[in-house]
Amino acid sequence: MLKSKTLMVKTRSGKILKIVREHYLRDDIDNGLLTDKLDLHPLLQNDLVPHEHFLVLDTNVILHQMDVIEHPCIKNVIILQTVLREVRHRSSPVYKRLSSILENPDKKFFVFTNEHCIETWTARKRKESSNDLNDRLIRIATKYYSDCLSDRNQQAVLLTNDEANCAFAVEEGLIAYTAEKYVKSVVGHPELLDKLAKVNEAIEVDRSISYPEHLKLSQLNSGIKTGRFKQGKLNISRENYLEGKILCPDVKGGEILIQGRLNLNRAVHEDIVAVELASEEEWSAPSDVMLDVSIQPGAEISDSVDKKVVSNAHRVPSGKIVGIIKRSWRPYCGILENYGTPGMTRHLFTPAERRIPRIRIETRQFKTLIGQRIVVAIDCWPKHSKYPQGHFVRSLGEIGDKETENEVLLLEHDVSHAPFSQAVLNCLPSPNWAIPEEELRKREDLRGFPICSVDPPGCTDIDDCLHFIDLNDGSGAVEVGVHIADVSHFIRPSTPIDEEAKCRGTTVYLCDKRIDMVPALLSSNLCSLRDDGDRLAFSCIWKMSLDAKILQTRFCKSVIRSKASLTYAQAQMMIDDPAKTDNVTVGLRGLNKLAKILKSRRILNGALSLASPEVRFHVDSETHDPIDLQTKELRDTNSMVEEFMLLANCSVAEHIQQEFPECAVLRKHPGPPPSNFDVLINAAKTKQLDLNTSTSRELAVSLDNAEKPQPGVNLYISTLLRILATRCMLQAVYFCSGLESDFKHYGLAAPIYTHFTSPIRRYSDIMVHRLLAASIGADVTFSELLDKQEIQKICNNLNFRHRMAQYAQRASVALHTQLFFRGKLVDEKGYIIFVRKNAVQVLIPKYGLEGTVFLDRDCEGNAMTMNNLNYVEQDCKIFVGSIALQVFDEVVVQISHDASNIQHQRINLKLVKPNLPGISSVPSES
Amino acid sequence: MAKAILGDSEKWFIVHGVQDDFRTDGRSCENYRHIELETGILSNTHGSARIRLGSSELLVGVKVELGTPKPQRINEGWLEFHVDCSPNAHPVFQGRGGKELSDNICSMLTRVYRNNTVMDLEALGVIPQKHCWVVHVDVLILECGGNLIDAASIAVKAALYNTGIPNISLTDGDEGEVEINLPDDPEDVKHLKTINCPVLVTLSKIGNRHIVDATDEEECCCSASLVMGVTRRGHTVGVRKMGGGSLDPESVTEMIDSGKKIGRQLHISLDKLLKIEAGMSEDIKQTGYL
Amino acid sequence: MAGLELLSDQGYRIDGRKPDELRRIRCKLGVFTQADGSAYIEQGNTKVLAAIYGPREADQNMRNQICHDKCFLNCEYTQATFSTAERKHRSRGDRKGQDMSTHIKQTFEATIQTSLYPRSQIDIYLQVLQADGSNYCACINAASLALIDAGIAMKDYVCACSASLTKGKPVIDINHVEESSDCAELSVAILPKLGQIVYSELNGRLHANELPDVIDAVVRGCKDLFVVMDRTVREHLEETATTFTHS
Repeated sequence: MLKSKTLMVKTRSGKILKIVREHYLRDDIDNGLLTDKLDLHPLLQNDLVPHEHFLVLDTNVILHQMDVIEHPCIKNVIILQTVLREVRHRSSPVYKRLSSILENPDKKFFVFTNEHCIETWTARKRKESSNDLNDRLIRIATKYYSDCLSDRNQQAVLLTNDEANCAFAVEEGLIAYTAEKYVKSVVGHPELLDKLAKVNEAIEVDRSISYPEHLKLSQLNSGIKTGRFKQGKLNISRENYLEGKILCPDVKGGEILIQGRLNLNRAVHEDIVAVELASEEEWSAPSDVMLDVSIQPGAEISDSVDKKVVSNAHRVPSGKIVGIIKRSWRPYCGILENYGTPGMTRHLFTPAERRIPRIRIETRQFKTLIGQRIVVAIDCWPKHSKYPQGHFVRSLGEIGDKETENEVLLLEHDVSHAPFSQAVLNCLPSPNWAIPEEELRKREDLRGFPICSVDPPGCTDIDDCLHFIDLNDGSGAVEVGVHIADVSHFIRPSTPIDEEAKCRGTTVYLCDKRIDMVPALLSSNLCSLRDDGDRLAFSCIWKMSLDAKILQTRFCKSVIRSKASLTYAQAQMMIDDPAKTDNVTVGLRGLNKLAKILKSRRILNGALSLASPEVRFHVDSETHDPIDLQTKELRDTNSMVEEFMLLANCSVAEHIQQEFPECAVLRKHPGPPPSNFDVLINAAKTKQLDLNTSTSRELAVSLDNAEKPQPGVNLYISTLLRILATRCMLQAVYFCSGLESDFKHYGLAAPIYTHFTSPIRRYSDIMVHRLLAASIGADVTFSELLDKQEIQKICNNLNFRHRMAQYAQRASVALHTQLFFRGKLVDEKGYIIFVRKNAVQVLIPKYGLEGTVFLDRDCEGNAMTMNNLNYVEQDCKIFVGSIALQVFDEVVVQISHDASNIQHQRINLKLVKPNLPGISSVPSES
Repeated sequence: MAKAILGDSEKWFIVHGVQDDFRTDGRSCENYRHIELETGILSNTHGSARIRLGSSELLVGVKVELGTPKPQRINEGWLEFHVDCSPNAHPVFQGRGGKELSDNICSMLTRVYRNNTVMDLEALGVIPQKHCWVVHVDVLILECGGNLIDAASIAVKAALYNTGIPNISLTDGDEGEVEINLPDDPEDVKHLKTINCPVLVTLSKIGNRHIVDATDEEECCCSASLVMGVTRRGHTVGVRKMGGGSLDPESVTEMIDSGKKIGRQLHISLDKLLKIEAGMSEDIKQTGYL
Repeated sequence: MAGLELLSDQGYRIDGRKPDELRRIRCKLGVFTQADGSAYIEQGNTKVLAAIYGPREADQNMRNQICHDKCFLNCEYTQATFSTAERKHRSRGDRKGQDMSTHIKQTFEATIQTSLYPRSQIDIYLQVLQADGSNYCACINAASLALIDAGIAMKDYVCACSASLTKGKPVIDINHVEESSDCAELSVAILPKLGQIVYSELNGRLHANELPDVIDAVVRGCKDLFVVMDRTVREHLEETATTFTHS
């Protein structure tokens, strides 16, 4: 049967259109009761409902009570098409969560297409608003289900938070409750009550603070259109949690500063907000003060920003937030604060992420939860509440316990670390898979070549192998080959294993754990190019001259047999040992020579070699606790492998760009804007060193010049300059060649670049493998491979995952450093790399540790009033009384692990030398 | 007008018949042919009507849009007419063939509706000087069977009666700007007052007498015709003489008088029909062309 | 409207159809009295009127196109100003209209047995009253019925249907919303009994592997359409026959 849907739409140009659409009603829509999508006998019992029952959820329940719904005991729920559509329209994160529940067959959630079913459809009544119509459709559908279930002696229960809807439903003879009432009477699952989000009531009313009212969305939109408000994503400063900024291209400096609680007006880090620019007289400057909740719990009570006189030159555009356009709330990991009496139910939760404010939650499980890491979600932030309100989601484990802390850092960085699902495991070949005959025939047989691999010790996922052969044809040409594990042969597109790898994006290496992108059977066994048999590979083979000029390049799919899986140390020993003359060693020597030539050529072109204080932990094999630290050493062989990997990546990039100019997956590194280097140049000037940052080559030359010994300049300064230079760089990103025009890689000084050599641990390499295989005819294309927009979307996700993996890795190192310093007290040499108004930041090269030494606290950590602090910004110097601390100064600090406060375990740095009275601490006994 | 080709004897036959108040299809001089009218057949327009007058068939669609008011009349909206001759009606209308005819009908309609008493244009104003409703009336001629002007005007009145303009609400936006908001319910419309809309009556002079509603053949025999717009009360809102022949003043007054009388009768039956149709339940399926 | 899902996870489209279902089709022959043949078709909300004049002597201005051994076709496609949601003032002879006219002419040149009408002209006029997607297909179907009503000899019916690809599944008989989304759109006209394609047009990108599935789906759609059209023609014939015998 055909009905018609009419709507009035106002287009962007102001036209009013009448749009008419068809709406067919069917009599063959499945209601789920006869198939196995819903259980025959739902198990959930509830005191309010006498019989077995199915739940029908209203939109507001889904939007606000998602955590309750995700609980495993909530099953046999009917989601109506009307409700699904409204949820999708109102909140896409909630919709995503709902979709993943719907995909899970165990949850027994069924989507009923009620708007097209002839028995549950109704026409809009005169003067009925769309909300009322939707409510009526929901009630009619519930009635329909009640009627269907009546002969099975079961019922359909409507859950809605809308009082009016509830009342109407009861009038019509349906069973309806608010979510809160229903959850309170659930039998057997008391933990559900904690998960209830309290949207309407305010847990706390604090008369001391009253935030300005948020403007309505329509007002915000019209304000943005006229230019009165600016829209942007709020970025809270890492140093000062009461200060943030948004990017705005049409103000001076490109950013608007927002300072203070009232101006921030209940916006949370990463929310999309609307900002009203203040008048020029009210402009302020970013605070030089560092505020950190965990160290200075008292600091957040007195949050008046001191209105110091700021010189006009330093003023930046400032403003205040007038409304929130889109919230970006997510579940946060953290701990409960130990304030208040144990009998209270209202508690304060401190998130691990410093930029998120504290959250007030209500829970009865305080005794068990104190001392645990928990996950909490924000529900709302009422005007009169100092903190946002939220509810408890789940508990992760004890604070300080390594497993729990690992879990926290993976969750906070959105690293997917659940075990691979059955669907993914089903895509794997059997463990005793052998290369089939037809594959052998299709590929080039390179099993006789002197191929070997060089990797860190203990490496099981071997991505790459090399070989070198002197062609001996009189022209002095040699053949060099790079062979990469052929992962794309095992991971076919659009399979569950491919989707999972696409989502994870990269393998994450924590200090003691590795979160794999692909299951271990592939990464450590079938794909890994171990030396114990024939393996499938994707080869890039060059014919080169002896001075490392490429004469010819070719790519092919091959079968190889690695002769040796060496470590860097082993390979170096073989090269240095004159007695060894087997073809693998001869090959290594040849590769080494070529690598040196390639490297010097790259440096001439402007490739940068920057340093980062990388340390590696020696992990006790039993307890996996860190025993000692070890800084990474760079040998010849490390550099050799790196050179050829770079060369392979460059060659592949050129090739796929030629073959697929619209949809090649490439990697670029944009050059940093000159302003990024300001801090670096300033710091160098204090030591009379001039850095030229106009091109990467100039920068490299200046950094090299800084290494020359000069009077008054510490030898380590050049390394420090390199470390600071790393922080000026922008991130390298993946992109789709059809959508951008600038392909350059600043750091490597390469005109075009991609990632090809590590498909086991990076998804971008798998995409490049597929393109390359299609170009040499070894594989077919498919539509997603060639779709520009699809590729750019995947690249954006890969960039995000890559960044998150880096943050997670750094956090893991920080965690292990903490664990390492437990129970120890060590004095160590360090260098000042940053000077602020009330503190200095110190880098300790031996441990790769960086921390803050506050100059307005005494050695016990208590705040002191300092009236002899004199901060001179342009010299990067601060005077404490008569003693000066300047950037690059060498100091001695005492490192300890402070577990006095169980909630805030951290590494403490105390100044030992220079000895500042009242601040510095006594040197520990050596 | 698509000319039917008549021989001389046929012409004489028609002229003599008219003298005796007998037309070829048995009507008297002042009778209209069988009229079929249906409104609301095109769902994506704001108002529509289909008329079949004998063998002439027209379709009228009304769409309203927001536009800027004319500088001399800042408080009012306006109507805009457009006539299209579909080649379905006659091959000669292909390409730009029907332009002359459509321009003719269009100008007649525009002129009659320009009168202030005909239509309450202030009801179409939204925000003075900024926004107003512009009512686009599009006439589509599907079959030519004579007397297209009358048919067009009847259909236009019916379509305007059927038109529903969305009930917009005005809210104060930023900086004194007024925002226009659409109603939630698409059925929330206000209807135009068509009580004073005129119909055009064409009186064709054949021999010494004049006839109403000439067919194609009769149009070939007529020397001159008078088109007048008549309102429900019998008031004349516009007169125009067409055709190559001449009229003497007495015939003109005679024709105008009978035109008024016929017009009034036409309005009465039309209004009755429109009321009945509006009152019909929405369940009865529109048939349109089926 | 942003965010409309063209194909829901349960397998229903925006208007509630399944991917392989046509819209409601209603048609009638012989709606006009003056034209030699006429037909009206409604495919969902797309409404098209077709009128045929001919075979007749060639017009003055078309004299140069006369062929001594076959008739020539003249086709004009027009859309009413109120046919789309936004009122578009169409001058005759705009690009799109001319394009459509040429395509329709080509389609029928392949179907009408033109050798039976030498030195004459057949005019096909199409008027779109309401456009809601698949305009070309509705026009072909209407013209086909009108030609049958006019009694002009054809090799077979011509049935046209459109298809698109959403979420990897071919959907047929697309409406305006589905047309304006980013998907590829394939229109095909076939001679159902002979199983031949007389016209096909693809807009947008489609991967070569996906093409056979879409073509299969669209041919099945055309065959379903043929059933409806055939039934209408037979009913019309019965009606006309009874009026003749009874009067």
